[in-house]
Amino acid sequence: MIIKLMVNDKMVERDVDPTKRLLDFLREDLNLTGTKEGCSEGECGACTVIVNDKAVASCCVLVGQVNGDNILTIEGLEKNGELDIIQKAFIEKGAIQCGFCTPGMIMSCKALLMKNPKPTVDEIKRSIEGNLCRCTGYTKIIEAVQQIVEERCNNE
Amino acid sequence: MKELKYVGKSLVREDSYDKATGKTIYVGDMKRTDMLYAKLVLSEKAHADIEIDRSEAMLVEGIEAIYTHEDVPKVFYNSAEWYPGIKGIRDELILNNRARFVGDRIALVVGSSKETVEKAISKLKIIYKELKPVIGLKQARKDEVIIKENTNLAFSKSINVGNYEEALKKADYVIKDIGTTPKVHHAAIEPHVCLAEFDYQGNLVICTPCQVATQVQMHVANVLNIPLNKVRTVKAVMGGSFGGKSQPILEPIVAFAAWKLNRAVLLYMDRTDVITGTVSRNATEIAVETAVNKEGKILGRKVEVRVDGGAYNTNASNVTMALGKKLYRLYDIPNQTFEGKAYYTNTLPGGTCRGYGSPQGHAVTEVNIDNIAKKLNMDPCEFRLLNLVDEGAKDLTGAPEIGNAKIKECVKVGMEAFNWKEKRDTIKNKSADRYAYGVGMACGTHGNGYKGAYPDFTNVDMRIYADEGAIVKIGVHDLGCGTITTLKQIAAETLDINMEKIRITEADTFVTPYDSAGTQASRVTYVCGGAIKEAGKKLKAKLINAFCKLKNVPIENVETANGYIYDKNSTEEHTYGDIVTEYEKHFSESMSISLEYKSPANPASFAAFFAEVKVDKYTGLVDVIDCLAVHDIGRAINPMLVEGQIQGGAQFGLGMALYEQMKINKNGDVKSNSFSKYHIINSTSMPKVKIILIEDNEPYGPYGAKSVGEMATVAPAPAIINAINFALDTNITTFPATPEVIVNEILKKGI
Ligand code: FES
Ligand code: FES
Repeated sequence: MIIKLMVNDKMVERDVDPTKRLLDFLREDLNLTGTKEGCSEGECGACTVIVNDKAVASCCVLVGQVNGDNILTIEGLEKNGELDIIQKAFIEKGAIQCGFCTPGMIMSCKALLMKNPKPTVDEIKRSIEGNLCRCTGYTKIIEAVQQIVEERCNNE
Repeated sequence: MKELKYVGKSLVREDSYDKATGKTIYVGDMKRTDMLYAKLVLSEKAHADIEIDRSEAMLVEGIEAIYTHEDVPKVFYNSAEWYPGIKGIRDELILNNRARFVGDRIALVVGSSKETVEKAISKLKIIYKELKPVIGLKQARKDEVIIKENTNLAFSKSINVGNYEEALKKADYVIKDIGTTPKVHHAAIEPHVCLAEFDYQGNLVICTPCQVATQVQMHVANVLNIPLNKVRTVKAVMGGSFGGKSQPILEPIVAFAAWKLNRAVLLYMDRTDVITGTVSRNATEIAVETAVNKEGKILGRKVEVRVDGGAYNTNASNVTMALGKKLYRLYDIPNQTFEGKAYYTNTLPGGTCRGYGSPQGHAVTEVNIDNIAKKLNMDPCEFRLLNLVDEGAKDLTGAPEIGNAKIKECVKVGMEAFNWKEKRDTIKNKSADRYAYGVGMACGTHGNGYKGAYPDFTNVDMRIYADEGAIVKIGVHDLGCGTITTLKQIAAETLDINMEKIRITEADTFVTPYDSAGTQASRVTYVCGGAIKEAGKKLKAKLINAFCKLKNVPIENVETANGYIYDKNSTEEHTYGDIVTEYEKHFSESMSISLEYKSPANPASFAAFFAEVKVDKYTGLVDVIDCLAVHDIGRAINPMLVEGQIQGGAQFGLGMALYEQMKINKNGDVKSNSFSKYHIINSTSMPKVKIILIEDNEPYGPYGAKSVGEMATVAPAPAIINAINFALDTNITTFPATPEVIVNEILKKGI
C-alpha cells in the first residue's frame, strides 16, 4: 500500500505493508533510529513520537493508521542547527544518563509544552508517567521542564 | 589547597548532545551490509529435556541457520568469571538440551530480517519432556528434586569475628528478625543486544554494551577455542545495565553464529526475553539476631543468609560473600557470625545487580536495627549513632580498612535537615482513620573496588598531542552514569588542559590497555580515576621537565595554565603543543606515559536515607512523601552527576521496598514477564530526592573521591520499610511491601 505522510516536515511516500508498526517504519524504512524500543507493548514510552500534536507510542501504532498524518520524531526537533529548548534543558540539567529513554521522554515533554506552555509539576509528571527511566529517578527530567517554565514566566 | 578548575564542578556531559538529538547509535541501531538478525529461543518450561524439530522452520525464506545444542561447542563456562584466575563452578553452555529455568537458551535462529527470524521461531516444534522443577529456597533445601549432581546446595561459607555465643551470654536483649528480599529485574530500558562480525584485521569483533570487555573476550575465546588476541570486544554505548549486562549472556552465542557464518550477526532480545532469559538480583532469606546491652551497645550479631542462586552457579558464591562482608563495615560489632548458603533452583540465574548483595543484606538487618531501638525505647538514629563505625575503623574480618568513614556525620546532618526528631515525635498525630503517616531511616555501606578480594589494577596510556589535546587510553565502560565526563574532569585537573581538549577511550580489547576487573564493584571513579590522576601527574611532571631542559628554566619558576606553560619571570608563553614538538625534535621522545596503577585501598562509602510515608490502610498503597539521602562520598568530582546517581539509586531502592519482584509460580513460569506486569517506579510515584553530600576527602581517592552509584541503592529500601513499620506499628520484613503484604499485616494486627 502506498503510504503518504509528513515526517519531520518532509513528505514521505513509500510502498509498505500497512500493518507494519510505525516504530519499525521509522527505524527501518526511514533510518530514524533515534526512536527506541524498550518493551513493544506501550508500557515504557521509549518509542514515543508525536502524531498530529499528540504523543503516541509508536510500537502500538501501525503505519497504515497514520497515513496522511504529521509525524514528529526526536530527529526533527533541532531547527537550523539549533536545539529545541527541551533538548537544551535536558542537557544542562543533567537529565540524561544512559539516554535510552531520552528521545521518548523529550517527545512526551514536547507534546506537553505544545499544548500547555507553562505546565505545573504535576502536569509534567503526568505527561511522562508512561515514559520509564531507570537511571535518573525522574527528578532532573522534571527539573529540566520546570526550568523552561520558569524562564517563560520570568520573561513575561 | 589550590582552587580546582574542573573537579567539583557540575559540568555538562559531552555525550548528552547526541543523546538528546537521537544521534547516538546504540547496538540495536547498527546496520551492516549483509547483516543477519538472530534471536534466541528460550525454554517455556522450568525443568525439561528438550527436543527440537526445526525442519519446517528451516523452510522459511531468509533463514540462514537454526542452531541447537547439537550444533554448538560443549564448553562449560561460568559467565560470572571475569578473568581466568577465578575458578568458579562452570556449568553453563551456550545452548542447552536440558532447560533448567523458564528462559533458558535452547536454540538460536538466524535470518535475514527480524520478521523472518520470528516467523521461523513460530514454526519450531519443541518437545518438552518435563522434569519436576525446584522453585524457591524451601523446596531447594529439601533436596527431594536435585537440579545438578547430588545436592541443590551451591555454596556454603561462614565468616566469624569474635565469639557470638559469648556475646549472647552478656546480652540484656536479643532481637530476632527473619525477612526476605525478591528477585529484581534490572530493567535497563535498552534490552540486551549484541553484534558480532569480523573486521579487516581478522578479529572476531563483539560489539556490545558490556561492563567488562575482557570478560566477554575471555568467554568468547574459550567457548570457540580461538586465541584471545583474535577476539576483539568493543564496548558499545550502554542503554543502562545496573549489573544486568555485566555477565556475558548473548556474546558467546552471537560470536559463535558470526564465526560459523562469517557474517555480521545482530542478536536482539525483546523485553520478555530480557526479563526471563538473562539474570536477576538474587532473592534471599535472611535471619538475623542481635545481642545488645541495655545501654544500647551491640555486643554481637548472627546473620544467616540463604541465597536463591537460580539455575546456574554464576555468582552464587560471590554475591553471598559480598553480602556477608558488607555486614562488618557499617556497625562496630565485636562479635559477629555470618553464615551464607546459596542454592540452585529452576529459576533464572542470579547476576550482578546494583549494590551487589548490599541491598539485600542491609534490607533485613536495618529493619532489625530499628527493632532493637524500639525494644530499648531509643530513637533509631540515636541507637545507630552509638554503634556505627568511626573514621579509621578497621574491618574486623581482615578486609581492607574502612577509611574515612563519615556515616555518623551523615546521620547527624540528616537528622537536622530532615527535622527528624520533631517529625518522629509528631508525625503520627497526622494519622487519621484511613491514612497512617510515618518516618523512618536506614544506613548502608558499599565498597570501592576489589582490593582485598581480587586483583584490582588498571593500565593507562596518556599522551599530549602537538595541538595541546590529550588522549587517555584506558579500558573503562561508561554505563550511562557519565563516567567519561568524570574521568575527563580528573584528567583536565591534573594536566591543566581544557576539558574539551581531552579524549578518553572506552574499552576495546584490541586497542585499550588492560584493566583487571572492568566497570563493576564501584571501582571506576576510585580506581580508574586514581590511575588517571597518577598518570596525569607524571605526564605533567614530564612536560615541565622537558620545558626546563628546552628553555633552561629552573623548575621552581615553571607555571602552567590551560595548556600553556611559561617561566613566571618571562613574558614568553608556550603552548603544551610547542613543547611536545620541540621535545620530540631535540630529545627523540614523545610526550606520553604508560603506567599500571594498583588500587591502594578499598574504603567504604556510606549513606543514610530518611523517608516519610503515607500508608493507605484500606488499600495498602504507600506514598513516599518526602525523602533525603545523605552520602559520605569523599568528594564529588561532578555534583550534578552524583545527584543523578543518588536519585536513580533511590528509585531502584524504592522499587525494591514497594513494588518490584519477579513473580514465579510453582511451575517456574514467570508471571511478571513484561513491563505491564513488572512495575518499575514511574514519574508520578517517584518523590523528589533531596540530597546532602558529605565531602571530607577519602585519602586515597582521586581528589578525595569515593563511590556512589551502587551505594545509592542500598539504604532507601529499608528506610521506607522502617517508615511503614513506624506508621503502622508493624514489623514488616518482607521486601517488597506490596499492598497485599501491608494489608495482611494490618489485618493480622487488627489495626
Ligand atoms: S517500546 Fe513502545 S512503549 Fe515501550
Ligand atoms: S537515562 Fe537511562 S533510562 Fe533514562
